[in-house]
Amino acid sequence: MDGPHDLGGKEGFGPVVTDEADTPFHHDWEGRMWGISRSGAGAPGVTIDWWRHVRELIDPVDYLTRPYFDSWAQTELATYINAGVITLDEVRSGHSATQKDREARVQSVAEAIAQDASQGTDFSRIIDAAPALKVGDHVRTLEFTQQHHTRLPGYARGKPGLIHAHHGAHIFPDESAKGHEMGQHLYSVVFDAKNLWPEAGDKRDRVYLDLWESYLEPL
Amino acid sequence: MSNYDSAKVAKIHHHLHSHLPSEPALRVKALESLLVEKGLVNSQTIDAWVEAYSEEIGPKRGARVVAKAWTDPAFKARLMDDGTAAIDELDFVGNATAHLKAVENTGSVHNLVVCTLCSCYPFALLGVAPNWYKTAAYRSRAVRDPRGVLQEFGVNIADDIEVRVWDNTAELRYLVVPQRPAGTEGLDEEALTGLVTRNAMIGTDRKFSATATGTS
Repeated sequence: MDGPHDLGGKEGFGPVVTDEADTPFHHDWEGRMWGISRSGAGAPGVTIDWWRHVRELIDPVDYLTRPYFDSWAQTELATYINAGVITLDEVRSGHSATQKDREARVQSVAEAIAQDASQGTDFSRIIDAAPALKVGDHVRTLEFTQQHHTRLPGYARGKPGLIHAHHGAHIFPDESAKGHEMGQHLYSVVFDAKNLWPEAGDKRDRVYLDLWESYLEPL
Repeated sequence: MSNYDSAKVAKIHHHLHSHLPSEPALRVKALESLLVEKGLVNSQTIDAWVEAYSEEIGPKRGARVVAKAWTDPAFKARLMDDGTAAIDELDFVGNATAHLKAVENTGSVHNLVVCTLCSCYPFALLGVAPNWYKTAAYRSRAVRDPRGVLQEFGVNIADDIEVRVWDNTAELRYLVVPQRPAGTEGLDEEALTGLVTRNAMIGTDRKFSATATGTS
């Protein structure tokens, strides 16, 4: 979707604030949100791509102005509400209207670390189709994409690039965000900065994106 | 069960905008309370995850991978060939690192990592991402004005150095392997680990000190 999340190349956001405390969390609530996200059961049917799409759907003003982990809280809540696990009335009252029918896991730090180690999710898939493109092929990205979730950023649409690497097939996010798992060939595509940005001039700089086969057409 | 209806979720966000408190701490507390009451999270477990990512899982892991690559050419070759298999040797594979690619800085190439569409980051290897990595300023500008962004980090890239920006649009995650600082020939892997900064592994640091402490 062409939402506020698609930030690559947008202008007007000012300098990057580079001096910050070298700690993972700057407020207690950020740590709480991280812990909820990492330890929570998650709403049924949520894929990583649907979760990203739900975050993209936050009102643009909120998306651009509220703190990062705050958007995680709203996304998490929205996925639970959408799945019918939490109701808006419960959000309003601040309490669950039903008795709990399960107990959440109690984990020690060591168990959390072990669980993290088991969460290196493999997104690659074996598919029958042979890759239609190979390293060195010239390609052009799609000019338009769909309204739902996609991982082809606006700044890289309709642009010429070169296949830099083939990663095999990975879960296709545009379908995964609708609950369908299918593999599709994934490539690293390199773009000359001067083909993306008018001011890049004669610089040799390059931008690399990982893009699925259906985002690309051979040139 | 979930449906995958954008319009329905947009309405939910609209309601949440109206009904949630404005203060982020209160919003997160509201979420935690409801999930605890429903038996979907446990507050002690949340504490454990905060501690895990404050004390154990963080940029020191990535620094050790870089230091090992500097001192062990065979490991470096394996890291460049298959990043995930290489960090698995150190038991560092975990959340968001199952498809890790190492990209190497040289005298003529500088690498910079960004996620313009959300804020993808190799959590199990580098810990929680710094705030700046998640800001609109960094996400919008890193692909378009990487040299300007780097200057804001105090990194000046000479014209004859090629900048390669890696936008994390899929589940691959990128680790920048910086150049080993001059004057560190006598240092062992542990001492070198202390020199590698988190920012160097994202690409917003390039020539760091041979003596300063790096990441904690």
